[in-house]
Amino acid sequence: MISFSQVTKRFPGGHEALSGVSFSVEQGELVFLTGHSGAGKSTLLKLIAAIERPTSGVVSVSGQNVGRLSRLAVPYLRRNIGLVFQDHKLLFDRSVIENVVLPLDIAGIDRRESLKRARAVIDKVGLLPREKANPVSLSGGEQQRVCIARALVSRPALLLADEPTGNLDAGYAADIMSMFRDFHQVGTTLLIATHDERAISALGGRTLHLNQGKIVEAAA
Amino acid sequence: MISWLRHQKHALTAALNRLGTQPVSTLLTALAMGVAISLPSGLYLGLVNLSQVAGQLPAQPEISIFLDARISDAQKQAIGARLKQSDIAEAHFVPKDKALAMLSASQDLSDITAGLTQNPLPDAWVVQPHGTSREELARVAGELGKLPGVAETHLDSQWAERLQAILAIGRAGVWLLAGLFAIALIAISGNAIRAQVLARRDEILVSRLIGATDRYIRRPFLYLGALQGLFGGLAAIGVLAIAGGYLRVPVAHLADLYGSSFHLIRPTAIEVVSVLGLTAGFGWIGAWLSVTRALRQVEGTH
Repeated sequence: MISFSQVTKRFPGGHEALSGVSFSVEQGELVFLTGHSGAGKSTLLKLIAAIERPTSGVVSVSGQNVGRLSRLAVPYLRRNIGLVFQDHKLLFDRSVIENVVLPLDIAGIDRRESLKRARAVIDKVGLLPREKANPVSLSGGEQQRVCIARALVSRPALLLADEPTGNLDAGYAADIMSMFRDFHQVGTTLLIATHDERAISALGGRTLHLNQGKIVEAAA
Repeated sequence: MISWLRHQKHALTAALNRLGTQPVSTLLTALAMGVAISLPSGLYLGLVNLSQVAGQLPAQPEISIFLDARISDAQKQAIGARLKQSDIAEAHFVPKDKALAMLSASQDLSDITAGLTQNPLPDAWVVQPHGTSREELARVAGELGKLPGVAETHLDSQWAERLQAILAIGRAGVWLLAGLFAIALIAISGNAIRAQVLARRDEILVSRLIGATDRYIRRPFLYLGALQGLFGGLAAIGVLAIAGGYLRVPVAHLADLYGSSFHLIRPTAIEVVSVLGLTAGFGWIGAWLSVTRALRQVEGTH
């Protein structure tokens, strides 16, 4: 599903976030990405979603060379990837359901069908009673669940999560992680950047450890 | 195709919502546009009205023929015979005594004529030719001027030609002004949309991350620009309607003094629709320029 081959990302100014990284993730796999902050976890995820482009090497997703993707093709790649952000990136000028329905609007799906699907996925993350609420009135954990609902509403084959539990206390974090396990069980490929050791041991799965831009694979 | 229509509808609703949530700034922008557009369109309407005035004035130009003081009777008869030919519609003779009497009758000049020891005026014919084209008038005047005993001919169509020339300048001015204000319109719209884009930076960034194309992001702003332009056009027509209502009575009064039934002409439906279409179009262009530029700036800030 994902394969990195000798991928290096150097930022303007000379900082090398990733140096010669190679690995691959099979379809349906659950993989954790660990390493201290600044080790290159976010950069690696951004390369997969074509938010950043590699300086050298090949990043491929479902057989597509993402680093060479034209600007016009990038949106269509992203529609197949669910993104979960540490800071949620919700829009506070609209309700929970309007946030979740956004990817379907973008894909041009019939409004009524979209709302039905959005409601189903909001139900799955346990926020159906709050669907009309403004996300600003939700707790951090609830906001993160809205973000996850938005990432999943278009039923992507691949879910990328960058520190999804980074700002949450242990109870919420465990909730979120068990949600990820459910998605893994229905066949979604997950790549989760985290340093929540408890979550990793609870869920199992492979761990990729990043250290100063280099990968140190460790079986869990 | 269906999803394209869905996108259009979605973008239009979004644009209408955005306008609705900011009624004051929408109104102010529409007013700024309306005042700007009302200037060239007002000038245009003024010219249409002036052309109508020019059309109502006696279009029949006259040629005055002044006879030589030492003209012979035979020459007089020859001229009279020439003026009976088919290219002359009407001719009447004004003897010099009658001309002096007419001059004396007019109040301002009676003092001057009273001091005259002899009549300095020549005998004259006032002639209306059949043809009214410029070439035909010049030909007839030239021909009559060459007759023996004719001292001078005066073609009395100059004022009409001058009026036409002034109107032509006015029309050129309308287009010049319209061009300038179209640029102003693009600038006003672009500026309004730029503020909108900046206010929606987060939405644009997030939409990009979850797979929105540039076209998807741009579309509501384009509708917004077009709608804003449309409202500007409506405001301009409102301004003109108010100005027309304000001018109607004094214009009618002036026309009355001239014994004319002239009244102000309203813009036709086609003209109104054209103004609205053009303002919407220029609003759209301004929005496109602005949002395309802003998208490129947002690009670098992931």
